[in-house]
Amino acid sequence: MTGATSGVEKTIWDRLFTVLVAAIYIFLMFPIVLVVLLSFNSGEFLAFPLEGFSLRWFEALFSNKRFLDATLYSIQIAATSTIVNAVIGTLAAIYVARHATVARDYIRLIMTAPLLVPEILTAIALLFYFYEIRIGTDYSIGIQIGHIVVTFPYVFLNVSSALFNFDRSQEEAARSLGAGGWMTFRRVTLPAIKPGIITGCLFAFVISFDIFNISLLLKSLGSNTLPLELFDYLRFNFDPTAAAIASLSIFMTFAAILIIDRTVGLRSLRF
Amino acid sequence: MTALTIDRINKRYGNLHILKDISIPIGQGEFVSLLGPSGCGKTTTLRCIAGFERPDTGRILFGERDVTRALPEQRDIGMVFQSYALFPHMTVAENLSFGLEVRKVAPADRQRRIADVLAMVRLEGYDKRYPRELSGGQQQRVALARALVIEPSVLLLDEPLANLDATLRDEMRFFIRDLQQRVGITSIYVTHDQAEAMVMSDKIVVMNAGTISQFGSPREIYERPASQSVAGFIGRSNTISGKIAEALGQDGYKVETPCGSIGATGPAGLSKGAEVKIMIRPENISTRSQAASGHQQGAGAEEAGSGENVLAGSVVNSVYQGSANQLAVKLGSGDRVIVDVNGRNPLEVGEQVALRFAARDTWLLAS
Repeated sequence: MTGATSGVEKTIWDRLFTVLVAAIYIFLMFPIVLVVLLSFNSGEFLAFPLEGFSLRWFEALFSNKRFLDATLYSIQIAATSTIVNAVIGTLAAIYVARHATVARDYIRLIMTAPLLVPEILTAIALLFYFYEIRIGTDYSIGIQIGHIVVTFPYVFLNVSSALFNFDRSQEEAARSLGAGGWMTFRRVTLPAIKPGIITGCLFAFVISFDIFNISLLLKSLGSNTLPLELFDYLRFNFDPTAAAIASLSIFMTFAAILIIDRTVGLRSLRF
Repeated sequence: MTALTIDRINKRYGNLHILKDISIPIGQGEFVSLLGPSGCGKTTTLRCIAGFERPDTGRILFGERDVTRALPEQRDIGMVFQSYALFPHMTVAENLSFGLEVRKVAPADRQRRIADVLAMVRLEGYDKRYPRELSGGQQQRVALARALVIEPSVLLLDEPLANLDATLRDEMRFFIRDLQQRVGITSIYVTHDQAEAMVMSDKIVVMNAGTISQFGSPREIYERPASQSVAGFIGRSNTISGKIAEALGQDGYKVETPCGSIGATGPAGLSKGAEVKIMIRPENISTRSQAASGHQQGAGAEEAGSGENVLAGSVVNSVYQGSANQLAVKLGSGDRVIVDVNGRNPLEVGEQVALRFAARDTWLLAS
């Protein structure tokens, strides 16, 4: 008997495959683990060997006003992007799923374009546009719009898939029971697509929190998002404060995934 | 009194003429089935009644009230969907409560009505369950309860049994019919299953290609089908071609066929010489082995004056079906006839048989 032809029992190929998958995971996770380890290192430099356990770099981080401001600014931008996209992303998904007829596929393509076009191109295009309409980079509105545009597809796609999997006869059932259009939406459609909205919003938040290119080109004077602040910092310093920031970001992402899993379940993540 | 009147409605999608001048009067408390193959327009008709589709022309009246332009939520209907369409994020009680809340029924009243209707569909104690925790048949009964709890003037059912397995489907037929009769609610039932329509309905509307082929009681439709397509769609049937030779009274005819002259029943007013098909249901034909009957091969079909017809043929196929044997018999004319015979008394393939059937058990169809 050769290869993986036997039914239940594990062959050498099955074992090799398991080892390969494990190796890929280790390769992917290793840098993350490393960064977290380094953030708790008591040494002066962002380097090995580890010298001892310490929270001093987190302390340094939280006592650094620039980092705190940048964190708050990033949260503010990400939160605004999330809220705006929760509304327009959902509305757009409903329009495309329900009302667009002939041009449906083209509209869908345009809606997801920010995912397909390289972020830096979107940033340059928006930069030109903002100068053209005399907003420039004097205000936060520019960077905010940039973040909304880039994170829009995440809400749009998640809500679209939720709508696609939704049995519309539920809406008809509600209508037959006497509910009007708004009540039907509020009590039947919205609860059904809520997992899609929540998932899309969490994606939008995490992505917005992490965006670099858009922020670099569109940021207004005197305000930095966290990734930009981190970039500036690493140009002149090489201490583990950077690792502490990275750990914080990783923690936030894990928190988001945990929230998705606890509220709507990771299985609802479909594109 | 007519509870519901469908008055010459037409519906087109682009070039497709889905409904062609459909008119159906439905009496108070009647159970009417719309029966036909898929694409015949039965579902579109139901959706026009519900208000999910709007007919291009024609009117729909609930009693005296013209609802043609009314929205679904203004019509006072209860509807049961093929997919049940229960609200998955609500418990059984919340599903039932939805329609009552919309109607602003007081909470205490709501609870009483929900309890009543749950008892009616035999689901007491299930009020806290979610739809996903119920079996298909239970979900079906919740859907029925949800439609009935608002006490609508019309109950619409869109192939509600299509997703159930065969045993449960049989059970639910009688359950729904019984419930409908106890509540006394006017009901319209869409199905492609003729057996379902037969056992449940007061009236059946047989539809085909956007038109009504026949509207009548199950008995009328089975015994007196209006056309060959209706006869073919409802149950099994045999047809023998012939020409009217003579009219005998109101609905009796003598028909000249290649197998000889056959006495038959048909609609009044068929003229002499008209081309017809004689329809005979397999269960209405009795057989006897030719040897036993003593009849001569190819003997004259009708036994004078008795109203009994006798045809000779040979068995070409025999299929055991448990309760009966289904025989295929080839007549002298070359026509094949399907006959049900008692399973315990099988006839062999190749055996000569005499087929016997009464003129009153036949029906003439225009060909």
